[in-house]
Amino acid sequence: MILSETLTKRAAPYLACLGLLLVWQCASLGLNNDSFPTAVEAIRAIPSILGDKESLINFAASLRRMAIGFGLAVVISIPLGLMMGRSRAVASFFNPLLMVIYPVPKAALMPIIMLWLGVGDIAKTLVIFLGVSLPVIYHSFEGAKAVEEKMLWSGAAMGLSAPQRLRRIVLPAALPEILTGCRTGLVLALITMITSEMIARQSGAGNILFNALDMGQYDTVFAMIIIIGAMGIGFDALFERMRARLVRWSEQQLDIPLSFS
Amino acid sequence: MKVRAVATDLLLGLVPIALLVGLWQALVSFGYAPVALLPPPGQVFSRLLQQLLTDTFRQEIASTLLRLFAGFSIAVVLGVSVGVAAAVSPAISAVVRPIVGVLAPLPKVALYPALLLLVGFGHESKIMLVTADALFPILLSSYYGASTVEQKLIWSAMAAGTPPHQILFKVVLPAAAPSILTGCRIGLVISCIVVFLAEMITSTDGLGHVLVTAARTFQAVDMFVPLITISLLGLILNGLLEALRSYLLRGFLESDTRF
Repeated sequence: MILSETLTKRAAPYLACLGLLLVWQCASLGLNNDSFPTAVEAIRAIPSILGDKESLINFAASLRRMAIGFGLAVVISIPLGLMMGRSRAVASFFNPLLMVIYPVPKAALMPIIMLWLGVGDIAKTLVIFLGVSLPVIYHSFEGAKAVEEKMLWSGAAMGLSAPQRLRRIVLPAALPEILTGCRTGLVLALITMITSEMIARQSGAGNILFNALDMGQYDTVFAMIIIIGAMGIGFDALFERMRARLVRWSEQQLDIPLSFS
Repeated sequence: MKVRAVATDLLLGLVPIALLVGLWQALVSFGYAPVALLPPPGQVFSRLLQQLLTDTFRQEIASTLLRLFAGFSIAVVLGVSVGVAAAVSPAISAVVRPIVGVLAPLPKVALYPALLLLVGFGHESKIMLVTADALFPILLSSYYGASTVEQKLIWSAMAAGTPPHQILFKVVLPAAAPSILTGCRIGLVISCIVVFLAEMITSTDGLGHVLVTAARTFQAVDMFVPLITISLLGLILNGLLEALRSYLLRGFLESDTRF
């Protein structure tokens, strides 16, 4: 009984995928629209995209930018967020600036950044960096704010200096919350990557997608949507595994990310 | 004392913004950046004021706001109802959870080409994209908010004679309100971002379109104006939501969450 229950739980995401594809298939058969291929047709177009050397190079370029942007953002945002969470002065120093930046679509900065840095890797990586930073800062901030004062006092009583306390008490205590932020950031990195490539059509997965749209290759469009969607789900699942291992000791938090653009 | 602390915080917070604007001005005045690429802040802000007085620019703002509100409201209604329903009924939860688990990490912008092909280039595709993006944070926080309502509250309401169909509105929704409103806040910021992006991709009006047009003609000043406008819109909407929140949640004990 318990076995079958875990089995259903494991199978549920796959069933959901299958169900969604089925709905798609039925909808496209029902609508019979030229520009809306069936799910089967779209899936059939995937191997030709993934087999093409050119598009693999595009994917590799995308992933490289995403990895660099995400890595840099995490390394810089976590300490900043933690300091904001522990010091009122630092928090009130950065809060208004971040609030002003928050609602600006980071990918919309692309045209301006392109004027300065060109259409190359640097501009796109910078945009991904900006996009990922905010949720990571926010969650680190929230995590650090919730750390129990008593633990910090005992740390101070045992002779830890302020930076040591930040690293050895605040960082581990805020880790679950920080990782939630990183998970949001990861999905966001993917989204920003696609949008930045759509605006500066030079290379990358977003480039393939929107060029196919412009040229009316609808199979490719929908196949790319499946591939990008699968990347999002795959990265998220991988990160979730790593997160679960790192914070085994903490109680289970949100098991679905609050992704945002 | 408290007023003074708030004032100090406010002043402190203005420092980095002032520094940023100062740096911006310095870059231009000392000739590190050519004016064509980085117009001085004074020029940008006066251009913004001048634009705000014109009818065409206000119409662009209006169409952006229309899409934003339409998409956001649909997301709120759908998200709260599905989220609360899933929290209340295990059967609905069993269906909704895996689907949400698959759809939430999906980059919704990638769906935009599909929406364009299906519903066309008008308002609908943009509104649907905003809804798709804003929906999940609202849905998830409603779900978590409603599923962590204390059972004792429900029991005491029932013991006090509340009919079962009123428990949802009298107990569950008010208890889940803080969490729902947090989700709405995230959803609102996302809506601002997404509506702008959608307008940048394909549109004939709206703030995103203004930016794209300016970028095509290399009008650096006009590129900054829509960006600053969307940032201001985001701040104003966020402030309104915050006011609504403190009105709805009067009596709730809350630590100050800013940002």
